[in-house]
Amino acid sequence: MNMARLAVFSPVDSTARVDAVVRRLADAIAVGLLADGEQLPSEAELAGRLGVSTVTLREALMALRQQGMVETRRGRGGGSFVRLPAELDPLARLRTFAADELRDFGDHYAAIAGTAARLAAERSLPSDLAPLWRTLDEMDEVAAAPRAAGSPGEACARLRRLDGRFHIEVAAASQSARLTQEEIRLQADIGPLLWLPHEGLSGHDETAAQHRAIAGAVRRGDGEQARAVAERHVLDATRHLIELRLRLRE
Amino acid sequence: MSTPVSLAQAGHDHAAAAVARVREAAEGVFEALREVRDAAVACVRPAGGARRPVAADLAALRPLLWARLRGGALPAHLPAHVTALIAGIGFIAAPGLLADAPWYLEWWQENPSGAPVRLLRNMDPASSAFYDYTHWDWYAGPSSGAERTVCGPYVDYLCTDEYSLTLSVPVVAGGSFAGVAAADVFVRRFEGAVLPALREIPGPAFLVNAEGRVVASNTASWVAGSVYRDGGSAAFSVRPVGDLPLSLVTAAG
Repeated sequence: MNMARLAVFSPVDSTARVDAVVRRLADAIAVGLLADGEQLPSEAELAGRLGVSTVTLREALMALRQQGMVETRRGRGGGSFVRLPAELDPLARLRTFAADELRDFGDHYAAIAGTAARLAAERSLPSDLAPLWRTLDEMDEVAAAPRAAGSPGEACARLRRLDGRFHIEVAAASQSARLTQEEIRLQADIGPLLWLPHEGLSGHDETAAQHRAIAGAVRRGDGEQARAVAERHVLDATRHLIELRLRLRE
Repeated sequence: MSTPVSLAQAGHDHAAAAVARVREAAEGVFEALREVRDAAVACVRPAGGARRPVAADLAALRPLLWARLRGGALPAHLPAHVTALIAGIGFIAAPGLLADAPWYLEWWQENPSGAPVRLLRNMDPASSAFYDYTHWDWYAGPSSGAERTVCGPYVDYLCTDEYSLTLSVPVVAGGSFAGVAAADVFVRRFEGAVLPALREIPGPAFLVNAEGRVVASNTASWVAGSVYRDGGSAAFSVRPVGDLPLSLVTAAG
């Protein structure tokens, strides 16, 4: 008997559903689509919208609470609230990846970001691009006056959120919902790691120049150039990250 | 037997029928928005305008919003392909309108497995990287005076993860702009509503928004999401869809 075929018709593992829900919500929190302090819908509503049972949803919320990404308050005005984790220590996470895994992440991300940028160049209209130019201006403002953000750490966190927003806006300009979802997922996975070499605001000028090169190629409708600079942007960041990983002692 | 002249005439009639079908679908949504607008005007002028409105005043809109969502108690006089379009609907307050919330959405979404669901968003511009809604075309259009706005198709990564259209109208109360009544329609459902009519047209035919983005089409060469940039090309003729910001493009002939 073919075991693989048997496995196809075995009951769907409920932990897989819990993981999928945890994944979806954690991704949204990590990239700022769900903001710090935001109240989540009630358990019944959320379960309905995600298409899972309340039992599955409760397990997922428990996992998110343990990871510090959701806080539940009881009583009047209570409910589940989003918590942006103080810092899931990215250096500790970086240690868990070998260089070839990081290279592979970069390959996947470059494929998504490159194709999204090419399609954005071919399909976007000026109104699609206004948000991403606004985001780039905001990033320059934060980088030019980090004190205005409160602290250098807060300035860096804001820059990282804006960087994520820029890339999501480019992906959305491609008109592909799937590429946009994949961009959001990849950012949640390796966004905080790719940002590691920039801690302390170093390298902002170089990053900003690459962002403007991507946005410029998209605006000119130059698909091949947009793809090339978007891929280069991801691969450069991956290369910096691999250098950092190789210098980390076990 | 058909002569070329009668074929051209048939294409013309089918194009006119497709324009009518698109108008009907969009007007069905705008009709729901006019109801929301009128109800919102009453909500934002509590006691005849004697006091400033608060967020709780907008809760009175809910029965109407729920009824106009797909799966709700839709008006019987509209055809079925019009009534099942609305995936999200609501009122978006102009910043500063409400006494107790500077930013506020009364926004509800369809829920295939039960009662409509309220969209909750962090409305504090200082802590949310995303939700200053005044930048979005569905808000900026009505707030700068457009009577009817059709925004998109666009990837709605904030609410639904779907490729969507947002239709909106201004809400004006006591002579001043109070916010926007808006509705989300998934592109795939809008296509479902108009494709039967587009398919009847011989040759390529597609619907574009004011900027030339294709909304629905009878050909893979001009699929939804692509851009029609050949303004003034002799190969195509362009028909307006009533006074909506939409046009039907067909092969000239």
